[in-house]
Amino acid sequence: MKREIFFKPYAAILFLPKRAGVLLFLLSFYLPSVGILGFVAIISTIIFAHFTSTKEEYLKNGFYLYNSLLVGMGIGYFYDVSLVTVFLSAFFAIFTYLLSFFLNKVFSMFYLPILSLPFGIVSIIFYLSSYKYHELFSNLVNRNLVFDINFDIFNFFKSFGTIFFLPYSVAGILMFLLVLVYSRILAFLGVIGFLVGIFIHSLIVGKLTLGFFDFNFILIAMALGGVFLIPYWKNYLMALIGVILSVFLIDAFEVFGNLYNLPVYTLPFNIIVILFVMLLGSLGYKYFNYSIKETPEKSLHEFLSNFFRFKTSEIKIHLPFSGKWSVYQAFDGKYTHKGKWKYAYDFVKVKNGKMYEGEGNFLEDYYAFGESVLSPVNGYVVAIRYDLPDNPIGIVDRENNWGNYIIIKSDYGYFVEISHLMQYSIPVKIGDYVKVGDIIGKCGNSGYSPMPHIHIQVQKYAVLGSETLPFLFEEYIKDKKLYYYSLPKENEEIEATILDKGMKNRVSFILDEVYKYKSDDEEIKFVVKMNSRGEFYFCDGENKLFFYLKEKMFYFYGYEGKNSFLKELFKIVPRIPLINKEVEYSDFVPLDVKLNGLKRYLVEFLLPFDFKRFFKEDFYKKEKLKVSCKYGEVGFSFYHKGFSYIKIGEKIYRRFDEEVC
Amino acid sequence: MYKKPVINRVDFSLSSKYGSPVKSQKVKSEIDGIKIEELVKEFGSPLFVFSESKIKETYEKFKEAFESRYPEVQFFWSYKTNYLNAICKVFHKLGSKAEVVSEFEYDKARRNGIDGRDIIFNGPHKTKEALRKAVKEGAKIHIDHWWEIKDLEEIAEELGVEIPVAIRCNMDTGVYPQWSRFGFNIDNGEAYDAIKRIFEGKKLFLIGLHTHVGTFMLSANAYYVAAKKLTELKNKVEADFGFEIEYIDMGGGFASKNRLKGIYQPPEVIVPTPDDYAEAITSAIFETNKGKLPKLYLETGRALIDEAGYLITSVFAYKRLADGKKSYILDAGVNLLYTYFWYNFEVFLTKRYDNLTEPAQLNGPLCMNIDVIAENIQLPPLNRGDILTIWPVGAYNVTQWMQFIEYRPRVLLIDLDKNVRIIREKEDLDYVIEKETE
Repeated sequence: MKREIFFKPYAAILFLPKRAGVLLFLLSFYLPSVGILGFVAIISTIIFAHFTSTKEEYLKNGFYLYNSLLVGMGIGYFYDVSLVTVFLSAFFAIFTYLLSFFLNKVFSMFYLPILSLPFGIVSIIFYLSSYKYHELFSNLVNRNLVFDINFDIFNFFKSFGTIFFLPYSVAGILMFLLVLVYSRILAFLGVIGFLVGIFIHSLIVGKLTLGFFDFNFILIAMALGGVFLIPYWKNYLMALIGVILSVFLIDAFEVFGNLYNLPVYTLPFNIIVILFVMLLGSLGYKYFNYSIKETPEKSLHEFLSNFFRFKTSEIKIHLPFSGKWSVYQAFDGKYTHKGKWKYAYDFVKVKNGKMYEGEGNFLEDYYAFGESVLSPVNGYVVAIRYDLPDNPIGIVDRENNWGNYIIIKSDYGYFVEISHLMQYSIPVKIGDYVKVGDIIGKCGNSGYSPMPHIHIQVQKYAVLGSETLPFLFEEYIKDKKLYYYSLPKENEEIEATILDKGMKNRVSFILDEVYKYKSDDEEIKFVVKMNSRGEFYFCDGENKLFFYLKEKMFYFYGYEGKNSFLKELFKIVPRIPLINKEVEYSDFVPLDVKLNGLKRYLVEFLLPFDFKRFFKEDFYKKEKLKVSCKYGEVGFSFYHKGFSYIKIGEKIYRRFDEEVC
Repeated sequence: MYKKPVINRVDFSLSSKYGSPVKSQKVKSEIDGIKIEELVKEFGSPLFVFSESKIKETYEKFKEAFESRYPEVQFFWSYKTNYLNAICKVFHKLGSKAEVVSEFEYDKARRNGIDGRDIIFNGPHKTKEALRKAVKEGAKIHIDHWWEIKDLEEIAEELGVEIPVAIRCNMDTGVYPQWSRFGFNIDNGEAYDAIKRIFEGKKLFLIGLHTHVGTFMLSANAYYVAAKKLTELKNKVEADFGFEIEYIDMGGGFASKNRLKGIYQPPEVIVPTPDDYAEAITSAIFETNKGKLPKLYLETGRALIDEAGYLITSVFAYKRLADGKKSYILDAGVNLLYTYFWYNFEVFLTKRYDNLTEPAQLNGPLCMNIDVIAENIQLPPLNRGDILTIWPVGAYNVTQWMQFIEYRPRVLLIDLDKNVRIIREKEDLDYVIEKETE
């Protein structure tokens, strides 16, 4: 645990995973004073943090520590190691830690990162105060590098090295290679940011101009293009706009700083990135990175999964009926779904092109009349009306538009309203908790309803007639195809899915269950495990396959590890609809699961330029006790839990511990 | 005797605040696209007409409702609800096996090409000969009483085999009146005792549990309770005796969209949907079952066939009764409509009439005071030869009808290709006196 806390700040400065920390730590000793004083800073901060009983969770975040680290390294860059500099590094590090904590508390209210802002502020304070400390002598003239090769043309690498106070080609190259190993996207952004920054600056100045603080270009491009925003061509442009803006900031700060001999350091980077994050984050920008992963590549895979596979940000409800119904009116419908009530659906039952049998003069003639209405969400019943009569055909009730209705507060906070229910047909009371699929009434013809139908909408508040919100239906079947997180169009006939509880039981994997499979020449075993975040996964010893079980769907959503049987399993069944019906459906397998080696690196690099071209869906077929696709198939047994066999390509693995169930 | 007071809905279209008389006329001019008037012209009146497409639609709706929740479901066509060969064959073609309650029905099912193993043999009266035949042919025998255990054990001894059996159970499911005359009671431990007796006899072994909670059940919850109790019994006997219960049979009794006498609300309001029944039964099994899941057997009859059957009848004469009500004498009466005792049928006109409607009574051809099909309905003035269609009449009528006073009429089936087939000829004198010996 300690090790993790210690090395993480080194990696965090370059937006790299913590594993990279050790190497960067070693590299910092390239200029020994930088390495030593950085080390002093970080150690003293950790000791101080312990002294104040700071929770380890805080320190694990990295940014509390890397600002101190930067301050220490900054001191080491200008001054040799001496008792005084060690002393100063230690105490300025503590000061940085205090400031970091404070700034983070304030910034987190606006969901903003503090980046290296504390370092920037503390550096200024340090340099101002250092005027008084005449004992300090800069070592700029006689530095003792471990060794150096003078690659002056490679200014980029020098600049890269400067991020770690090591403005030398060798250090820069090593750091760049490290970045390249972890993320091609970050490396690319670094290069492009640097080039654009230099180009614009030179263009304005009129000649090729390089500066000590050009590394800001690199950091801005990497932070905006790869970390805080999703790696996406539009965001790359956004990052370059940031780089261009920083040109002016750097110059301005340099002019101002020169008066007092103050360094600019990373202030332009901090200002630009924070401004962009503030704007895009508050606007709910679609390609904002709401969950920053270890590398931009991983963030991108996660984003694409959420965006295409799970539609994470949308409201999703189940259909309020069973069987086949047709859409009479969809969102923005031509009759009544308008204005602030535009997000609503009307469903009717149609057979042979007609909504009724015979002539349709009687309510009973309508196929929809009297059909059960089911709860589309889990939640509490918050409002009900049940006493209005069902209008005979040809009459509508203009006074009580909504007719008999029920409003349910979903567990997720929004409200679902269903209208025109049959008189006295609501079997639940206000305060009851209803689950998806529970009968909550019968389709009727009360209120402003020309014929029996189900009206459903999602709304912001519990009040009848409140503003509606857009939503999606969890799943439905149309023409033997299963659609999920989707919306049917007007006049389309769709069928509700029915939960097969047997299927659900089969995939209700419980902690520590062991599943063993055997092919002709191989035996495989995996165990169900849970991590500290409460996520469940299959583990074969070293690889982890994460799964989730929803109302009517089982799916895999994450994989950690190398190529394995479990990885193949993800590819074969990324999701399993818990229904007993022959349907086809499509799903997206994350590219980091689907691809390997060089091809994966190449696709990951190109992906930001065209999501759809590289992130493609695969097609799956669900039969009674089987799911198949071009990669293989899995089968189930009616009587047992788990997969009864898993077929990868042509190779078949059969369960051989079926007594464990 | 005390009779529960009931409210009957009387249609007063004249005083209705909405209605024009035209709107209160229920019109059905064709069945599956074939004009009812044409049917009468070609095949005479009265006529029973069955619609194969309606049978298929209803069957598939039930099948879908159950199968989508519980993959191992098997329907067994309840012969007693309608055992006309053509109708049975439609169900067998759809995948339904057979459920019979007598030797006669058993033989009929065998004659319809159903394998002994695909027949469930229910009923309180299984003669020893019938049982012996059923055992030899591997039928699924559902034991109704202690005598039957004894009979079967004797047969087992005689044939030198161990016989797989199921027992019929009854229980309190929260509905009144409680059905307790079929099988063994679960609540008082009789069913458990019967199973223990079977276990100790060592000649029979238990593979199934059956219940029939009632008929025309308007409560899906009764099925939930029944399935739960049956599954609990399964868990217990599997643990105690080591039997492996292969299936649970939930019987029949699902309601059709018929209007029960004495119930005010229309069927659309009170009759549970197939989904409601299916959800109740399968949830109970999933929630209660321990160990291997059982197969689910269903003996649905009425709910599958009732709405597919129509009785077409013509006005023979009319008269004005002493109280001013119009009485129509039809060519079909309660001799053909056994279910009249429970139901208020829908009565359709074949065309729209311009006149105002008036209160009327429908009487059959029998010279019996009880021959009343509908006591109080609103009809426009009808003439001799005008046609009425009575619905739903598919279940029980063509099995429980009587040759009484009149001959029984033709039965037609409109198949999926809209061909009209005579599936039972009308009777004549030779047929009726065939078995008379003097």
